[in-house]
Amino acid sequence: MFRKAAIMQTGDQSPIEANPQSIKTTQQKLWQDRRLVNGQLSIFLQRYVPWAMFFIGLIVIPLLYYIGLMSIGTVNMLGRYMAFAIVAVGLDLIWGYTGILSLCQSFFFALGGYAMGMYLAHHGGPEGIIDANNWKIPACLYVVYPYKVGEVPGDALVPWFWKPFYTLPVTVILGLLIPSIAALAIGYFGFKSRVRGVYFAILTQAITVAGWLVFCMNNMKLCGTNGLTRFDRIAGFKLTTPHVKVGLYIVTLLALVGVYALCKHVVKSRLGRILIAIRDDESTLRFSGYKPYIYKLFAFSLAGMIAGLGGMLYAPQMGIFTPTNMEAGASILVVVWVAVGGRGSLSGAILGTLAVNLLYNFFTSEKNLLLFTWRAEYWQFILGGLFIGVVLLFPGGLVDLWHRLVGKTR
Amino acid sequence: MRRIFRIISLIFLQLITVVYLCFAEADDTFIRSETLKLADEDASTRRAAIMTLAQSGDLRAEALLESYRLGELYLWNGQVVRCTDMVEDEDFNEFYILSDLLTDELILGAAGNRAGVPLEELEELSPSRAERRTAHSAKFLVRLSSPDPEVRISGVKKCGDPPGIIEAVSQLEEIAQNDPVKKIRYVAQESLLLIRLSQTSREHDPQAHLEIVRELGKMKSLRGLPRLQEMFDELMVEVEALPDFEEGTDIEDLDPADVASLGIYKYGIAYKYAVNQINSYQGFVEGIGNIFRGLSLGSVLILMALGLAITFGLMGVINMAHGELMMIGAYATFEMQRLFGHTPDSPSDWYYVAALPVSFLTAALIGYVIEVLVVRHLYRRPLESLLATWGIGLILIQLVRIRYGDNIGVNAPTWARGGFEVLQDLIVPYSRCFIIFLCGLCVLLIYYLMNYTKLGLRVRATMQNRNMANSMGVNTQRVDRYTFAFGSGIAGVAGYAWTLIGGVTPDMGQTNFIIDSFLVVVTGGVGELIGVICAGLGIGVLMKMIEPLGIGSLVVGAIWAKILLLIIIVGFIQFKPAGLFAPKGRLSDV
Repeated sequence: MFRKAAIMQTGDQSPIEANPQSIKTTQQKLWQDRRLVNGQLSIFLQRYVPWAMFFIGLIVIPLLYYIGLMSIGTVNMLGRYMAFAIVAVGLDLIWGYTGILSLCQSFFFALGGYAMGMYLAHHGGPEGIIDANNWKIPACLYVVYPYKVGEVPGDALVPWFWKPFYTLPVTVILGLLIPSIAALAIGYFGFKSRVRGVYFAILTQAITVAGWLVFCMNNMKLCGTNGLTRFDRIAGFKLTTPHVKVGLYIVTLLALVGVYALCKHVVKSRLGRILIAIRDDESTLRFSGYKPYIYKLFAFSLAGMIAGLGGMLYAPQMGIFTPTNMEAGASILVVVWVAVGGRGSLSGAILGTLAVNLLYNFFTSEKNLLLFTWRAEYWQFILGGLFIGVVLLFPGGLVDLWHRLVGKTR
Repeated sequence: MRRIFRIISLIFLQLITVVYLCFAEADDTFIRSETLKLADEDASTRRAAIMTLAQSGDLRAEALLESYRLGELYLWNGQVVRCTDMVEDEDFNEFYILSDLLTDELILGAAGNRAGVPLEELEELSPSRAERRTAHSAKFLVRLSSPDPEVRISGVKKCGDPPGIIEAVSQLEEIAQNDPVKKIRYVAQESLLLIRLSQTSREHDPQAHLEIVRELGKMKSLRGLPRLQEMFDELMVEVEALPDFEEGTDIEDLDPADVASLGIYKYGIAYKYAVNQINSYQGFVEGIGNIFRGLSLGSVLILMALGLAITFGLMGVINMAHGELMMIGAYATFEMQRLFGHTPDSPSDWYYVAALPVSFLTAALIGYVIEVLVVRHLYRRPLESLLATWGIGLILIQLVRIRYGDNIGVNAPTWARGGFEVLQDLIVPYSRCFIIFLCGLCVLLIYYLMNYTKLGLRVRATMQNRNMANSMGVNTQRVDRYTFAFGSGIAGVAGYAWTLIGGVTPDMGQTNFIIDSFLVVVTGGVGELIGVICAGLGIGVLMKMIEPLGIGSLVVGAIWAKILLLIIIVGFIQFKPAGLFAPKGRLSDV
């Protein structure tokens, strides 16, 4: 017990994300090791691979598109996956570092997505009418407007909660604030009463399902199961033009890098140590005079905000935003992205998201193999296998695999 | 064994058919001869024939009288036939297509190869206006004398429905007095009152009118409610039109005619009183019905959560594929239905009896395999097991979807259809009773297994202290395996029960149940049977109680009830973080 507390207070060792000190000792060991070359390689790779990836993402991929080697669809797809990666980084912050398994990241994602979607719908397709208060009813709302008995199409009004989302800056601010406030509320009631582990996971899962049910209701005036559609322009630019798509891709990439840097900063700081301590032994931390729930609350609402950002970047690239994005399955999917990449490693979260989604992209098309035809519906088997495999066979995920490959020991 | 049973049932069926045919044959000639009388010259004979047909109690006479009223009956070759259609040949000669009165089989023309007969060979039975009217009301009387209570009750109901068949009054009075079935006596009385209500008005016979209104209110007649409400609304319009009186005016100063008009308040009070009586009774019945629906929902939840509570309590493993095991149980039931060839038209109810062990064993077997392959490696790692079992769930869903498609129907066995009327207007479906019964049975079984058998002893020992149990010679691995399989089997039984009240889809577990049943476990506390039962019943009943609540036209509804319930549970967890019945001592930190 004492040893544990001492370790925690000096922040000497954490099983997953190594601090500079332990890296140094590892390096020293490695120098003496026979795997000298491997060690050098490891350091080299660790230092330069992220920069190389960033470079590829920022320069090479747009370049590939402009010289015609990559279709705009692929660029758009990568952009969407990066929006997912943002959510995954947020989840990694709370699951990988703080040890809270949240299954409502997709709910926060959808909150952000709906915020941006409402903005886009305001400036969307030409259908619809002008209501009595001189607001144009968005096309997607107009189609499924839940008239009461006796109401005629002329009585439709733009609901009050649609109005703030008319301008982009307000939308962005609200799209970040709403998910984080929702996370604060959920977290407050969850953490205050010390709901932990699986209980918290089940609770958040239930909240996601409840949210999904509400967003599916037609008379919530959120377009029901149809979702927000008929997007047209963002900040005056037409969404369908390739340049805007590349622009959105680059914005998403920069956002991803920003989120990554922010989370990296958080986990490297003293605050990050406390988060890790919460994961490893919350009771001891509490006995040493900390109030864990405040830190958990902070991490949870930050992750919620990050998920909202992901949703906001996803909506314009996808061109539609429906309640399917917040289904129970979608929220667990985020967890599997992180798990595949490597829980407790921020770069792993990004890697895992891209890997799983590229796999998804590859396996959801029909393929004629020699003996049988691969159908899109078989993807569920691969996904299920990934869930099982990542838990049973390679719990460290891709990052761990990579480290073993290049010889970095932990 | 099954074969013998089949043969016996076949013989029995044939016997019934033969007996039935004999009777039907005798009846047929009777109806045919009576119908022939409809073509008689004498008006009184025709009238008598109509009345005889009306008293026959044969449902076919009903259709026959309707055809007679519409002028579809013709005399042809000395027999009465029905004709509803005609064809034309190339020369535009019209041929009438005839069909048999009772069997509806086509009768071809005399030459054999003609599609129909020309009009010259037919003689129309054209009823007079009075006869049409008689036939119309006689049509309703047919059912009144049927020997089948189901048919009789429908006839009794129809006679009372507006505008009401006055001709039926004497027969209804007879039924209201002497019918052996209590329910039919009640409905007959109700119908009588309704007919009388439409006959009397408050201007002509105020005393009788008020008496009928009072009587309807006393009977809590749901069928009388719309008419009473309507009368009340009409009265209120009249009341609005009455002159206003200044407060404090002496009655002597008023116009006597105005004062007299105040008399209608008397009727208003009577109407409103009756309406309120009926409404409050309906509210009461509704409330009890909701509690009952809640109990049956709670039973399904308990069945689901029992298995979960055991596996979670025992192994610290979250089994997200539990909903899918339930789905497997439902599909096993479906498979048994197919094997027995059960359809609504040709029921073979034993399938449902056979499906109980089959669904239990199928789900238990799959649970066993899951334990051996995956869960075994995940003891005391609930978060990881959550992910892995979710993956298993995905695979199971997809397998079933590829095999069975997206939606299948399980037809309830005949004995689970319908229900019994506990109170007037309160019908308790047999299916829901069965589910509650099944749930009780499972709870007792588990209670017995856990507390009075050696296996239960081992399970409890493993639950309390795995290492200690191991060192005392309990094969904890085997205990885990069997317990997990048993929990899965219970989930299969839950799915089996669910087929009676809900739809069966491959993703039914994920969308409907897994969250709810985990909430039950969380609310009840882990590893305690009593906690699961209390929480399951509580959540089920509360859900159904919240659903119909509302302010004005805004009703909570199923979705908001679910959300409200979630909020209630979150609030509850604030006070009791470990559930209703928390495990004590060192177990509490699992």
